[in-house]
Amino acid sequence: MVVYSEKETGVETKHLLMLPAIGLVILALSVIAAYSQGDIPFVKDSAFENPRRPPVAFYHDEHNEKAGLLECNGCHHVYENGKKLESSASVGMECSQCHLASENNSAIDLIRVYHLQCRGCHLKKNAGPILCGQCHQKNDN
Amino acid sequence: MHAIYEIVSGPMVWLAAIIFILGSLYRLIFMGRLAAKKDPMVFSYLSVYYSLRSIFHWIIPFASVNMRKHPIMTVVAFAFHICLFAVPIFLCAHIILINEAWQVKWWYLPNPIADVMTLIVIGACIFFLGRRLLLREVRYLTTFSDFLILAGVAAPFVTGFWSYHQYPGHETAAILHIISGEIILVMIPFTRLSHMLFFPFLRGYAGSEFGAVRNAVDW
Repeated sequence: MVVYSEKETGVETKHLLMLPAIGLVILALSVIAAYSQGDIPFVKDSAFENPRRPPVAFYHDEHNEKAGLLECNGCHHVYENGKKLESSASVGMECSQCHLASENNSAIDLIRVYHLQCRGCHLKKNAGPILCGQCHQKNDN
Repeated sequence: MHAIYEIVSGPMVWLAAIIFILGSLYRLIFMGRLAAKKDPMVFSYLSVYYSLRSIFHWIIPFASVNMRKHPIMTVVAFAFHICLFAVPIFLCAHIILINEAWQVKWWYLPNPIADVMTLIVIGACIFFLGRRLLLREVRYLTTFSDFLILAGVAAPFVTGFWSYHQYPGHETAAILHIISGEIILVMIPFTRLSHMLFFPFLRGYAGSEFGAVRNAVDW
């Protein structure tokens, strides 16, 4: 190995010492940047204990603005005896509170109502994602 | 994308299912009539006992001399056929779609296992392709349509794997997955894939002939 003196390389040792310091600053900045992106909001329901697919990212306000949804109970509906109550909304409730209430229902039936709610509307409106991988996106993509 | 999806996942599924069912009935009835014309004695010695005995023997791995003579082919063929049927019928994503449409549901495979079984089907298709190309006695019997059939069988599994893993272009893969599934369904009655329909009758015929007439076994 050839060792060059400071004179030969023109690089002073104290400048070399700055390299790890710069590295640390870059690392710190990138960690802050990663965290400051903000949490991606996902569709959540505590009934889904072991999800088989990645969760679905959902930006509530942006989505509703784009879709022109003004009424809360368009999605957050309340049904009584098979009839939708136009003056009520189920904001703050989890879908599973009603849709998993029956003993015969399992996670797959909860998946069903989620899909019918999202995909069903997308198909009706000819807009928005409809295929499995369009909503349940893998994180590494 | 919405329009294509709605066509391939709606009317085309029904069309494929109807062609598959009616085509299969047509092939079975036509074959039955042909048998009655060419060998009318068939029906008189056809025996339920010997038919079932033969079918049972031929669905057990290594239960026949021919299977023992070709151990690799036997293992691959059994693994292939089990996975070929189990994956589409017991895939969670398929049951979710069926449950969405008709509110019926049944037991499903864990995704990682279905994934491995999909690879077994694709691997077996490659094995069958190699066999057709490399083994002289198989190549002799091979026509171009055999390669098309193999590609047709592999296609829903390749596109399904591609779509599930979300490799680039997975949206297109998902659409191709549905279309290829419909194509294979339509192909069953009208190609060599009809062995799926004729298998029990072929075994019933041979089993009855060997058992009831020759007093021998057919395995």
